[in-house]
Amino acid sequence: MNKCLFFLASLLLASSGLIAQKLFTRSGEISFYSDAVVEKIEAYNNSATAVLDASSSRLEFAVLIKGFQFEKALMQEHFNENYLESDKFPKATFKGNFLQPEAIQWNQDGRYEIVVKGELSIHGLTKIVEIPTIIEIAKGKTLGTASFIVKVADYGITIPKLVQDNIAKEIRVEVKADFQPLPQKGNN
Amino acid sequence: MPAHSIIKSIMKKIFLYLLLLALLGAAVGYYLWNKPHQNIQAASVDANVTAAQLFAAFEQDEAKANEKYLDKIIQVSGRIADSSTGTEGQIKITLESDDPLFGVICELDPLSEHKRTSFLPGETILLKGKCTGKLMDVVLVRCVEP
Repeated sequence: MNKCLFFLASLLLASSGLIAQKLFTRSGEISFYSDAVVEKIEAYNNSATAVLDASSSRLEFAVLIKGFQFEKALMQEHFNENYLESDKFPKATFKGNFLQPEAIQWNQDGRYEIVVKGELSIHGLTKIVEIPTIIEIAKGKTLGTASFIVKVADYGITIPKLVQDNIAKEIRVEVKADFQPLPQKGNN
Repeated sequence: MPAHSIIKSIMKKIFLYLLLLALLGAAVGYYLWNKPHQNIQAASVDANVTAAQLFAAFEQDEAKANEKYLDKIIQVSGRIADSSTGTEGQIKITLESDDPLFGVICELDPLSEHKRTSFLPGETILLKGKCTGKLMDVVLVRCVEP
């Protein structure tokens, strides 16, 4: 890790004056909410990875399904074994491009509301989605937040009739990423 | 005794037994619905590895490593590269691997009591938790110091 810090420092020195950079986090927070007739379910995961590339206007994030924590152990089991089959599909990923890359002034503090369009893959199925995202740049820190709806049926997730009123057909997902500069392997 | 009151008493008995069965069923259902999360401290260990070994296994063949380690209780030892506390108090310890940038992230179990919550980089530590796979690092959740 000391090697990493050295490379990081030299990269920062080399790129001072460079506006665009790759931003990264491995502590992204992803949570989702199901608001159904019978029950409210929520789960969170604090180890999502996200990469924000200012120069190519790309945003990617990935999360390990088995890392989602639920209040009820039984619900967590059903989520993993029956709904998302996380043994077969351990990750959910998103890779997208900003629709209006010029909207963000990377070297200026501000709050930028943009839309990122790309591929969302859950449970082995991929759909093109548009995710409204907010990028906040303040005092050298970049925070990205996104909130979107996932239609359970779109990703081949079948909810048994018995629990149909316990789980909503549309799940609200929230992503929060506090970005750091991406560590680089070697000198680019 | 007249025939119909014998039948009545048998039916009453059947009804009571069915009621008992229904109550038992409800109790089991209630227990399952509210069953606690697995006790990690008490769980049996599926694999004992070093952080470097675990990371290398995933680097070399992710599918095979998933088959071997995904969802299993892993006891992992390694040197602490970093430890951090998140906005909601969640504590993460990153263990060094042979890769200069990435290693094994261990999230401390929010459901357990921990002997200590401050960890110094450079220290060697043993942690036990559930493997959830690899993104850039291998991620273990619900970790405790065994």
